[in-house]
Amino acid sequence: MFRKNLIVLSGLVLFATATNAQDRYFTKTGQIDFFSKAALEDIAAKNNAVTAVLDTKSGAMQFSVPMKGFEFEKKLMQEHFNENYVESDKYPKGDFKGIVANNAAVNYAKDGTYSVTVKGRLTIHGVTRDVEAPGTIKVNNGKVDAASTFNIKLSDYNISIPAVVKDKISNSIKINVDTRLEPFKG
Amino acid sequence: MKRKIILGVLLFIVAAAIVGYAIVFKSRGDIVQDKPDAAITAKALITAFEKDTAIASKQYIEKVVEVSGNVKKIDTAGAVVLGEEGSLSEVVVALDKKYHAKDYEKLKAGSSTVLQGICSGYQASSNDPNDLLSGLGTTVQLRSGGVKNKD
Repeated sequence: MFRKNLIVLSGLVLFATATNAQDRYFTKTGQIDFFSKAALEDIAAKNNAVTAVLDTKSGAMQFSVPMKGFEFEKKLMQEHFNENYVESDKYPKGDFKGIVANNAAVNYAKDGTYSVTVKGRLTIHGVTRDVEAPGTIKVNNGKVDAASTFNIKLSDYNISIPAVVKDKISNSIKINVDTRLEPFKG
Repeated sequence: MKRKIILGVLLFIVAAAIVGYAIVFKSRGDIVQDKPDAAITAKALITAFEKDTAIASKQYIEKVVEVSGNVKKIDTAGAVVLGEEGSLSEVVVALDKKYHAKDYEKLKAGSSTVLQGICSGYQASSNDPNDLLSGLGTTVQLRSGGVKNKD
């Protein structure tokens, strides 16, 4: 009797772990771009090498951003961004660890677009802050597209804008996240 | 004589202003046309970072790297993944938005190619079960990349 229950229990545990593996969706080519609108200049940068993982069962989400991966139009801006603002030698990665707050409302088995709220901890320049952002999850043909647009304040992350370029760089930066996630077959 | 000196100084100031303007507003050139600091296979690049991250970082990060390998995946948003089937270790080359945004149209998954870009980072594979990013394999990242025409 005990052995039979043990076998059934083991089977259930194995099944549960197996299900977890299938619930992970990921990408290594996620896109993040940010945009600064200031009195004298607009600055934009794009990163297409973002790693992102979503656990569709729990709604847990994690991002890893190579800070040197942001591509700028102007060479000098690229240098200033890395050397002075985000100090990418010291803090090579930005990351986000969070959760899709209303994950239960998303039906990952059915094609559709869902509005979601993502909550978590964002770390940039060595500083971690709680963030909350609206987003969309689009389930399409076995893939999950997760996107979000939100703002951050550079001063919240100890990134200081020198007075001399205050009219060229805004303290409030618009961030756009766009990822196409595929099932992880580990 | 005095007038010539003033003229000379003025010309110098104008020249300096032009050079200064050019530096400040200089657009990024096409990295794919530059002479690379290193030419390496995707497999060897990954191995270098896995073997000794500190040395590989010094050798490759922020350097122009020509990397050859098998196209594993194409992301039309602007990136190409080089790697072998069955291995999670990959080189991700983000395409230069200005000069090579549509270069992926020249590529096909499963065929080999030569790309060039600036090495921008490395993601080690973590084995921590609490880390959602665990088990994704080693990833070496390049930015401002494009398909290199090898004649």
